[in-house]
Amino acid sequence: MLKLDHLTKRYGSLTALDDVSLNIAPGEFFGLLGPNGAGKSTLMSLVAGLRSPDAGGITLDGRAVSAADPSTRASLGLVPQSIALYEDLSAEQNLRIFGELYGLRGADLRARIDETLEAVQLTDRRRDQVKTFSGGMQRRLNLVAALLHRPKLLLCDEPTVGVDPQSRNAIFDFLEARVREGLTVIYSTHYMEEATRLCSRIGIIDHGRIHALGSLDELLAGLPFSDEISFPATPVTAGLAARLVAHGKVTTGDGTHHFHPAAGFKTSAFYALAESQQLSSRLFVTARPTLEAVFLHLTGRTLRE
Amino acid sequence: MRIILTLLRKDFANFIRDKAAVSLTFLVPVALIFIFGQVFGLNRKDTGPTGVRLAVVNQSDNPAARKLVEALRAEKSFRVVTSFVNADNSERPLAEDDLRPMIRNRELRFALVIPPDVIATSGFGLHLKILSDPRNEIETQTVNGLLQKAIFSNVPQLLGQSLQLSAQRQLGRAGLEQFNGAMAAAVTKAFGGNLEETKRAMASGDFGLETVAPGAQPGGPAPDSAGFLSRIVQIDNEQVVGKDVKSPEATRVVGGWAMMFLMFALSHSAAAFFEEKKAGLFQRLLSAPVHRAHILWSRFLYGVLLGLVQLTALFFAGRLLYGIDVLGNFGNLVVICTAAAAACTAFGMLLAAISPTAAAANGLATFLVLTMSATGGAWFPVSFMPEFMQRIAKFTLVYWSMEGFAQVLWAQQSLLQILPTVGVLLGIAAGVMAVAVWRFSRGPIFD
Repeated sequence: MLKLDHLTKRYGSLTALDDVSLNIAPGEFFGLLGPNGAGKSTLMSLVAGLRSPDAGGITLDGRAVSAADPSTRASLGLVPQSIALYEDLSAEQNLRIFGELYGLRGADLRARIDETLEAVQLTDRRRDQVKTFSGGMQRRLNLVAALLHRPKLLLCDEPTVGVDPQSRNAIFDFLEARVREGLTVIYSTHYMEEATRLCSRIGIIDHGRIHALGSLDELLAGLPFSDEISFPATPVTAGLAARLVAHGKVTTGDGTHHFHPAAGFKTSAFYALAESQQLSSRLFVTARPTLEAVFLHLTGRTLRE
Repeated sequence: MRIILTLLRKDFANFIRDKAAVSLTFLVPVALIFIFGQVFGLNRKDTGPTGVRLAVVNQSDNPAARKLVEALRAEKSFRVVTSFVNADNSERPLAEDDLRPMIRNRELRFALVIPPDVIATSGFGLHLKILSDPRNEIETQTVNGLLQKAIFSNVPQLLGQSLQLSAQRQLGRAGLEQFNGAMAAAVTKAFGGNLEETKRAMASGDFGLETVAPGAQPGGPAPDSAGFLSRIVQIDNEQVVGKDVKSPEATRVVGGWAMMFLMFALSHSAAAFFEEKKAGLFQRLLSAPVHRAHILWSRFLYGVLLGLVQLTALFFAGRLLYGIDVLGNFGNLVVICTAAAAACTAFGMLLAAISPTAAAANGLATFLVLTMSATGGAWFPVSFMPEFMQRIAKFTLVYWSMEGFAQVLWAQQSLLQILPTVGVLLGIAAGVMAVAVWRFSRGPIFD
């Protein structure tokens, strides 16, 4: 459905996207996971036709996406990172404006507005000014404003920034329902929990490059270790951490050592080593690796750095 | 105290980083001081306006009348015009019949006619005529004052001639000569001097009356004797334009007020561009089948319509509160308001296009609104400014808008007559808008 072919975008001397190629299939919930400044928003703006790439091309259903040609844009909806709504206008007025920009009129537009507001539980607030809404309500409206014209492809650029957990879950449920109905979503985030929950396929992006691409299982399978063992980074555990380097990868952050065992190094061997250092087993937490670990493994830094 | 110093340092650091605040604090006052200084001649030894165009038609062959014309030429406040330029660029002396059309066509606001009967043939006194378009009250009062000063400073000789004529009518030629001879003999006997010269001076009307008016030199203050002289100098004032205006005082000033409010409203709309950008609304709009041109032209039309509505509301408020005749030439008022609003809107969009931030746009807008209002004539008459400032004024939309309002409300001119002004305003709008669109296409506002 969407094809990105060797996309490169530069801002002066900064390369925001560096030779990125990607294929998104219809009905896919594709996650773009990376820290701030990784190139996610640039990629979104190129796909949305807001900017032109310096090299490479984008096609949507076989038609070239271009900043100069808005004809392909009716097929996509963009949920910007900020609350892109006219806050002095009501929810209904906002939806009417955005609907009309896509050519919707009359009874059809009214029906879609009713349906959309109902879907995000804003029907009873439809005539209220958007600025009187809570942050979560604004986020929900921000989301559905991009869906009113029923696009084939929805671009969500970190749509849950600053949203409370309840509203976030409501947004997730709404998006998952739309994807079940056939919508294709590209969802950029720096929250691994969101990518883990929502996305059927994830691209890990950093410094403008896609470092890995695949389903969660595929990404985790690519790790050279299966478990992660964490323990406090204290003078008492320093000796253990030093000895573990020979058996896997040790990273330290937030006062915690994270040990990713090398292939073949068993958990029992770890505990034997710990016991030899006279450390209690209560110090250790064993966990399945997460996308954070994948990101760390691929880029050498955490998503929060 | 340490806390206060820390907060003080914070305030200064914020201020210095805010270029708009810095420019508003220093640049705007300096610019306005300069403009006011130019108007009021603060850098000249003499003060007052310079360069008010004054047409003078001298129909008298009296040498003293020529002296009056020369005195007016020497007056720095006036640019005296005495010749008429024909279509083929040849020149001829101005005639009285030229004056009224020139005043109606806004080539002139003031004209002085020295008639053939400048010295009254029946009775005693002088006769002069002033034609004017008093569309600006400050300008009119100032010009009248300056004219009276110049006239009263130079009439004593004419007054003497009037006395001589009056005496001749009473005594006959021979009797007058005898009277002059006796008076000259008495004067020379009492004060000395040459008898024949004194007799000739008296016969030409030169009684040394200028000594009655101390300081009565060209460019000097009005003489104390003006009160006395004004009773024997008859000045016919003819208002060529605006005679039938119902509420002249309010009609004169409403254009300036309107432009000030309009420009401030539109500078606010420049800042709104940045609010929409910050909210990500341009991203959302441009991700729809919407071109940048759609956004720019819709914003332009919004500005024009808002400006038109605002101006119309303001003029109707003027009608309601002060009786300004808005409906008498309403169609043309709408035309000029539309053209003014278009020029102002284009200007607001240029501000948004060239400013990096909303704060910078606001600062620049305040600076330009105040300086354009000052130079364009919204605060004081353009004719008071030096010639170079008058030339600059013609590059401001305030000047042309105010010209347009005066043409419609004051002079009640027709659509054909206001078309050149409308053309200039629309030309400004088109030119400024072209630059704005060009800048928008390269600037960061839509990124």
